[in-house]
Amino acid sequence: MKESVVIIGGGIAGLEAASQLLALGLSPVIVEKSDHLGGHVAEWYRLFPDLSPAQDLVTHLVSSTSGARIYLETEISRINALKDGYSATLNNGDVLFCKAVLVCTGFHLFDAAKKEEYGYGIYNSVITNRDLEHWFGGLEDARIPDNPRAVGFVHCVGSRDVKAGNTQCSKVCCMTAIKQAIEMKEKFPEAEVYCFYMDLRLFGKKYEDFYISAQRDYGIHFIRGRVSEVSEDIDGRLLVKAEDTLSGKPLKVRLDLLVLMAGMVCSPQTGRIASMVRAEVDDDGFLRSRDNIYSIVESGRKGIFFAGACTGTKTIPETVAEARAAALSAFRYIKEKA
Amino acid sequence: MRERIPSGFDPFVLPFLIGIGFVLLYCLLAAMRVLWQCPREDRRRFFLSLITPTTALRNLWDIFANCLIHVKLWKRNKLLGFMHSSIAFGWFMIILLGHLEVFLFVPHRLNLFYYPIFFNYFVAETDTSLRGAFLFFLMDFFLLLILIGIALAIIKRVRSRLFGMRRTTRLSFLDTVGLYSLWLIFPLRLLAESFTASISGGSFLVKPLNWLLEAVLGSQFLLNPANNLPTWWAYSIVLGIFMVVLPFTRYMHIPTEMMLIPMRNAGLRIRHARRGYALLEVYSCPGCGVCIDACPMSVKKANIKDCTVYLNRQIRRGNERRIEEISDKCLLCGKCTEVCQVGVEGPALRIFQRARRQYAVNPDYAAVNVAPPESAGKVLYFGGCMTALTPSIGRSMESVLGKLGIDYTWMDRDGGICCGRPMLQAGRFPQAAEMVRKNTELIKASGADTLLLSCPICYKMFRDHYKLPGIRVVHHTQYFEELRRSGVLKLSKSDLCYAYHDPCELGRGCGVYEEPRTLLGSAAYIVEAEKNRGESICCGGSLGSLSLGFQQREAMTRRALENLTVAGPDAIATACPLCRSTFARYSSIPVRDIAEVVDLSL
Repeated sequence: MKESVVIIGGGIAGLEAASQLLALGLSPVIVEKSDHLGGHVAEWYRLFPDLSPAQDLVTHLVSSTSGARIYLETEISRINALKDGYSATLNNGDVLFCKAVLVCTGFHLFDAAKKEEYGYGIYNSVITNRDLEHWFGGLEDARIPDNPRAVGFVHCVGSRDVKAGNTQCSKVCCMTAIKQAIEMKEKFPEAEVYCFYMDLRLFGKKYEDFYISAQRDYGIHFIRGRVSEVSEDIDGRLLVKAEDTLSGKPLKVRLDLLVLMAGMVCSPQTGRIASMVRAEVDDDGFLRSRDNIYSIVESGRKGIFFAGACTGTKTIPETVAEARAAALSAFRYIKEKA
Repeated sequence: MRERIPSGFDPFVLPFLIGIGFVLLYCLLAAMRVLWQCPREDRRRFFLSLITPTTALRNLWDIFANCLIHVKLWKRNKLLGFMHSSIAFGWFMIILLGHLEVFLFVPHRLNLFYYPIFFNYFVAETDTSLRGAFLFFLMDFFLLLILIGIALAIIKRVRSRLFGMRRTTRLSFLDTVGLYSLWLIFPLRLLAESFTASISGGSFLVKPLNWLLEAVLGSQFLLNPANNLPTWWAYSIVLGIFMVVLPFTRYMHIPTEMMLIPMRNAGLRIRHARRGYALLEVYSCPGCGVCIDACPMSVKKANIKDCTVYLNRQIRRGNERRIEEISDKCLLCGKCTEVCQVGVEGPALRIFQRARRQYAVNPDYAAVNVAPPESAGKVLYFGGCMTALTPSIGRSMESVLGKLGIDYTWMDRDGGICCGRPMLQAGRFPQAAEMVRKNTELIKASGADTLLLSCPICYKMFRDHYKLPGIRVVHHTQYFEELRRSGVLKLSKSDLCYAYHDPCELGRGCGVYEEPRTLLGSAAYIVEAEKNRGESICCGGSLGSLSLGFQQREAMTRRALENLTVAGPDAIATACPLCRSTFARYSSIPVRDIAEVVDLSL
């Protein structure tokens, strides 16, 4: 019988790891709590920097894991350490025996309502990056006006924010904001589009070009300064107050739509899983890797591996690369034991 | 009674005389220094109050109730109250009765300081002194009372929880010397008196002990001065030690409080962190440590040494680094003052300490230009910065006022000037004054007759630090409650059960406890928090602290939430936008401002 690996979470990390483990001749089992595979990426419409459809990636990953056992709408209720592996009890009663566990629980999108001063859930035309992706994907959204004259994007909502309890950078929001700003500009060429940022972190391949194009080709306004508060005027338009820290002046802008770039925070399930496999949780709430340079996918506990955003904020390419690394590490671990 | 020692003197009284001489001189000089440091008008006020009969009477009563009976401690914990009042009142009565004895039996010795203290050594009982029996009884009675108090004090050192205190102060070296000498004074007095009780008489306590000693040591042994004098020496030396160290220990609170009370009754307030009246508050601190348990910061052990009792100690020591640290850290919630039995104003001491700091850059708000509110509505609503950051509260205010058809103007809907309280709390008085001046101009120009606030921080500021003649300053809980009473505001009661959190600035700061409760009670059900009203626990979000970070505040917020939700409410209601957003960060149940609750029930 093939050696089995339980993968917790069926996002892109779990899917990619499963496909690699299949190729390596192991038998992965994916346990996914929601009703679909692909995680957050499956909810996204297009991906930066090439504006490629997110669905293509998810479809490819799902098709390459057709040989794996997959549980949907299932959660792990208990994990026990055995002599040479683990047994995972599912909430449907099934018990899975495996040689290794791969934690791919990912992240949770920051609840933008917690930054009450931005008015999410209070004002009609304040939405999040995810709401906007849903709308791009064809879902109706009454909050998005038919013909907005001005649209704003607030970077770092719940990221790099001690007040919100998250000090980490979410890495992807700068680029997502630029991408969504461009997409909005494509949809509404007459609208003025503003991005309010602290500083732009454009570290990846083609990111900087993307940003320059947003300014040069699309005329998107980038304003350096955090938004302090949002209010609604009598006509129901949003009044955004910020400080333009480049000119050193306070600034007020009237907008018809405000998009909050909600950041990545650790998923609430992560802590539960961590205590089951007795992995450590770091002070940022994400899982603690054995070290942060060479062994990010290893937990420090035998047979427990990590991949993707459960150990910190990650881009898609990083997540996919980590999933492969984790699959290989798990494979080597099992072979060396045998 | 007759005198046993014709000269009326024995060298053993010297330690006591040196002690009392030193402490009296010290207190006199200290009192003169404090008076000299007070501004002239304060001094005048103080002297005038002393000759005003009503204030003078109140002074006497307050000194009796606070210094001798410790009324406030009784209210906090019966055992703690009994312990303190038995020692303080008992000692006072022994001194008083000692003087009475001297007055009755040897009136010509009244001029000798030590005579009432060592009365039993200097006199001998005669057949005619039976009339002293009642006094002897009283003396023994109060001595017993003190001894019980001392016994309780010893128990308290070991098991402070019995006295309702989780943590007590860590004593300094001199405090320990003072404490042990205080504990020793009365057992030694008992011993000395019982050695000579067969000569000078005694009552139910001293006499039996005398018989016991006679039975063990023999009466000749007791009567030999070589044996009984050392006991009197010991008593006198311990008294002397206590009095000499007194000015440098927490026991300095005993004489200081007697000056603090009349000065407070005269209306004097802190005007400088280290001079005049402030010194009296610092030295009046008995170091009991009640403020440690009360302090919201003390949930973290690392913060315990930042409570007011330690601020007072550091000010006395002149440890500038620690004074600054403690002053900056505090949330200024005012709970230490609320529970303090002598009323040391920890927050005010800290604010004035902050005011001593020199800043390199002093912001100037002269250029800030805000248009005065346009319409001359009857009610001017000022939301303040915190309401701007919690838009749903502002929305509820608009909605309630709109539904009631009240003619109002939202003064800072489109941005306004800060009320100035954060600057005031940071000790930056000129900056605060500038904001006060600007806002005063705007409000006066509006022609409104009511200034409505939804933030208690602003409310406290406008109420206490603005001069707005003819304009009523009112918090929304008071305003809505008034409208409800007059029948304008009709609320339907929901099934929800709320725990009400008293915001520091509204409760302890402005004394508003009832209106929010009756208002909330007519819109929903209320349960009380474990500690409520004056003892409500700060949410941890206070603007008062200059140095506490968000991560450090988290434990405080969680502790406050725990306190609020003991009765298992469905939601939390408060009347402060800052408390609301702070709690909302960690609460598992909804947190609403009363304005929102009212809006939901309207």
